Amino acid sequence: MTGQHGGAPPDEYVEAEIQSMLAEDPDVAEQGITVVRRERGLVLYGEVESPHRREEILRRVAERFPDLPITSDIGVIRTQAPSQVEELP
Amino acid sequence: MVIRIAAVGDVHLDEDVVGRFRPALEELPDCADVLLLAGDLTRHGTESEARCVAQEFGDLGVPVITVLGNHDHQCDQVPQVVKVLEDAGITVLEGTGVVLECSGGRLGVAGVKGFGGGFAGRCASDFGEPEMKAFVQTTKDSADSLGAALRGLDCDLLVALTHYSPVPDTLAGEPLEIYPFLGCYQLGQAIDSAPTALALHGHAHHGTERGTTPGGVRVRNVAHPVIKQAYSIFHLGDHLE
Ligand SMILES: [Fe+2]
Ligand SMILES: [Fe+2]
Repeated sequence: MTGQHGGAPPDEYVEAEIQSMLAEDPDVAEQGITVVRRERGLVLYGEVESPHRREEILRRVAERFPDLPITSDIGVIRTQAPSQVEELP
Repeated sequence: MVIRIAAVGDVHLDEDVVGRFRPALEELPDCADVLLLAGDLTRHGTESEARCVAQEFGDLGVPVITVLGNHDHQCDQVPQVVKVLEDAGITVLEGTGVVLECSGGRLGVAGVKGFGGGFAGRCASDFGEPEMKAFVQTTKDSADSLGAALRGLDCDLLVALTHYSPVPDTLAGEPLEIYPFLGCYQLGQAIDSAPTALALHGHAHHGTERGTTPGGVRVRNVAHPVIKQAYSIFHLGDHLE
């Protein structure tokens, strides 16, 4: 019983299914995304390496759970050169 | 005399990422003697993703040394991935080590991917089903090969490079329940069995930067999502005179 969620809050099994899908779906393969269940749907947190990957995650989750309200707060990790070094004794 | 080490892990390259690191990497010859990559270079460990890594991290003007991560094993193409990387001049360590002549002294780097297993008192045991024994044996073999590689290097400054974490300290931020999948204490024990100056790892995307082994060796989690910059730079060896 997954995929149909006419308004009912997502349960632990939905959370587990999304986590496995994000890790195991070859189009996503992300283990660094946190899925948080809120009263009115899911929030996805984490950081990825490109804007394309962020869009792909949202697309795949929406495709699998079309009725589930999803908010995303996924960032793209910065790649600037460091401004400081760490001196170790 | 100082040895300057640049390091990053978990860059998870594919075509969509190529070029993002390059502007920062072009600065490396001015600020580092070597670049160490802590595994998870690719998303799925395919040969074509490895070519993206070769393109992004090849011809940098400094030596590049890497270990592989669990993602680099996903498609069972490890030999092809290693070949593409080595053809691009990247040294791939797996239970092995290398010594580099730097202006600040001889830098020894021993590396291994490592494995999970958990940390003292909260870890998998070599007991029961064959699957469980095989799991723990993988942990032990991996750590043993790192220890032997570290102890076998003749150098002025010794660095350990792994993908999995040797300590729980740098996992802070990850759910406690998954610590046994993020590292094992046996890697820490291997690091402490040699005069290691610094241990670098990745894999724990939600972890934290700093920790120490029980033997007092500094540990740094250099996973890209943790350091949030193209690489970190460490200066070591002021005591070498
Ligand atoms: Fe990773
Ligand atoms: Fe990993």
